[in-house]
Amino acid sequence: MTDSDQHPYVEWIAREAQRPVVTDQAARERIMLAVRAEPVPKRRSRVWARVFEPRAFRLSPVGSTLLAAGLVGIGVIAGGVLNNRDVRPPVGEPKAPAVVQQLPVSDTVVKFVFVAPQASKVSVVGDFNGWDATTTPMVRTPNSSLWTVTLPLTTGRHVYSFVVDGSSWNADPAAPLAPDDGFGPKSVRIVGRGFAL
Amino acid sequence: MNDDAADVQRVLAGDVDAYAALVDRYYDRCARFAVRMLGNRDDAEDALQVTFVRAYRALDRYQERDRFSAWLYRILVNQCRSIAARRAHRERVFVREEALLLNAPERSTGWTGEDEEFVQRVLSELDPLLREAFLLKYIEEMSYEEMSTLTGVGVSALKMRVKRACDRLRERWERIKHD
Amino acid sequence: MIRVAKVRLRLPRHVGKSLLAGALVLLCARLGVAQGPDPLLGLDTNSRFAVDLMIDSATAAQLPTGPLLSRVLEGIHRKVDGKRIVDAVRRELGFLRSARSALGGVPDDELIAAAAVLEAGAKPAQLAVFRTRHKDRSDLAAFTYWADLITRGVPSEDASSAITKLWQDGADDATFYSLWKSVNSDILQGLNPGAALQARIRETPGRAPSSKTPPEGPQETQSQ
Repeated sequence: MTDSDQHPYVEWIAREAQRPVVTDQAARERIMLAVRAEPVPKRRSRVWARVFEPRAFRLSPVGSTLLAAGLVGIGVIAGGVLNNRDVRPPVGEPKAPAVVQQLPVSDTVVKFVFVAPQASKVSVVGDFNGWDATTTPMVRTPNSSLWTVTLPLTTGRHVYSFVVDGSSWNADPAAPLAPDDGFGPKSVRIVGRGFAL
Repeated sequence: MNDDAADVQRVLAGDVDAYAALVDRYYDRCARFAVRMLGNRDDAEDALQVTFVRAYRALDRYQERDRFSAWLYRILVNQCRSIAARRAHRERVFVREEALLLNAPERSTGWTGEDEEFVQRVLSELDPLLREAFLLKYIEEMSYEEMSTLTGVGVSALKMRVKRACDRLRERWERIKHD
Repeated sequence: MIRVAKVRLRLPRHVGKSLLAGALVLLCARLGVAQGPDPLLGLDTNSRFAVDLMIDSATAAQLPTGPLLSRVLEGIHRKVDGKRIVDAVRRELGFLRSARSALGGVPDDELIAAAAVLEAGAKPAQLAVFRTRHKDRSDLAAFTYWADLITRGVPSEDASSAITKLWQDGADDATFYSLWKSVNSDILQGLNPGAALQARIRETPGRAPSSKTPPEGPQETQSQ
């Protein structure tokens, strides 16, 4: 794409679309199979060549309109399809809850505890505070190595870590682990009505 | 291009296997266009099969002064259009829910590109004539003159289609971004 | 023809927009993030495009987008590079899709926990057993401990069959919790994870009475 004023998103789509698609050797072989079943094309004599010279593929205005109408039909159908898909649950599935899940209004207050005798600061980070270590600093219990903070969390599943001295991310030894996704250790807290596991 | 002309000569002289060289040379590139244009592998393979067989049948009409690739693409583009039109007709007959399932994300389409299905979804939402123009211009990197010869549409109309395609794509991203 | 194209594009926008907006409002509420600045600002442009598109696809497929956005924010704050963040989001979307295929329509939290089970290493077929779920039960705890056990090193097959058996026997959340707690404690003391699970599973009652105290040490099994 050479237009320098093209929108970056459009350029990105073009770049992605330019990637090769993986093709199937078997498909090529099927082509050759079909080709071998055909009569061998023979070069026609000069005289006949002029008679059979292909005309430019230029559609008449009527032809263009009809073709456009046929193809626009796809556009309209696809639009309708998209519209319905956004609203209906998958066919054959039990009635799925709406995408916007209705959460109970009351939150549960949850205590986080982490043992870090050598630390000078500890924060909890997680899906409830955008993983931002500056949002939820923990407080050290005087004369101990316990760091705590208490937070209201919405009902459901939460993933979190403890950040020690701004740089070391740690899982919670007292909680179930979240699977290793390559980002680093983290833990899961389940919050139900009136309890937290 | 010299290779192409030479291979065509060999086929016309009776060496059918020489056609395999032409297929090998152009298959992947044509496949990319067909897949992006039609949005699914099955239809693309149909289009490719018919294209290469028709091209073979019409080899005697291929003139050395034509670029083989342009000549081949003319057949490919028209083949994609007929398959798309036939598919539209089938879909009109389907119950809407079935047509939904054709587009369901769970359906495996055999993509191997990692983000391919997401980009393909965006492309498939473009009006087919806009998509065709966008692909020829920015994926096949053809000039407007080449595109005009290939599609039979005038250059200014093609420029308009490409511009509209880019506008649609940009608008779509604005919508995702701001929602 | 152009007019038709415009109308077509407006149709999905209305529906898609409100759904995504709803999901984002929900996410912001859950994240406790003010709906002001753009949460994806820390990403480079190309990664941003890729992630936006995946979140859009998730919404269209009625999958929760919270975990996707959460991955992005986590990656940004962990200073992970854009490409790895995109990879993580793509993987998560894949697991969510598989979980949906396996379980069908379940509440989002259970779906996300189920995706974590797959991410840990269980197979979709093992998850599909839970499809015939009890209406008044949530499998959130079972899935969470299942994923944890595999993550800690219990062989996936062993963890899957143990959790499934407990579930089929009607174990409640407290039973899963106490199993997990005792196995975890054994592993921390150096026991082989698979062996620890086998040992503790033998002690766990099947249809648990209302008692919530975990078994201490070997005990005569009352069921099976």
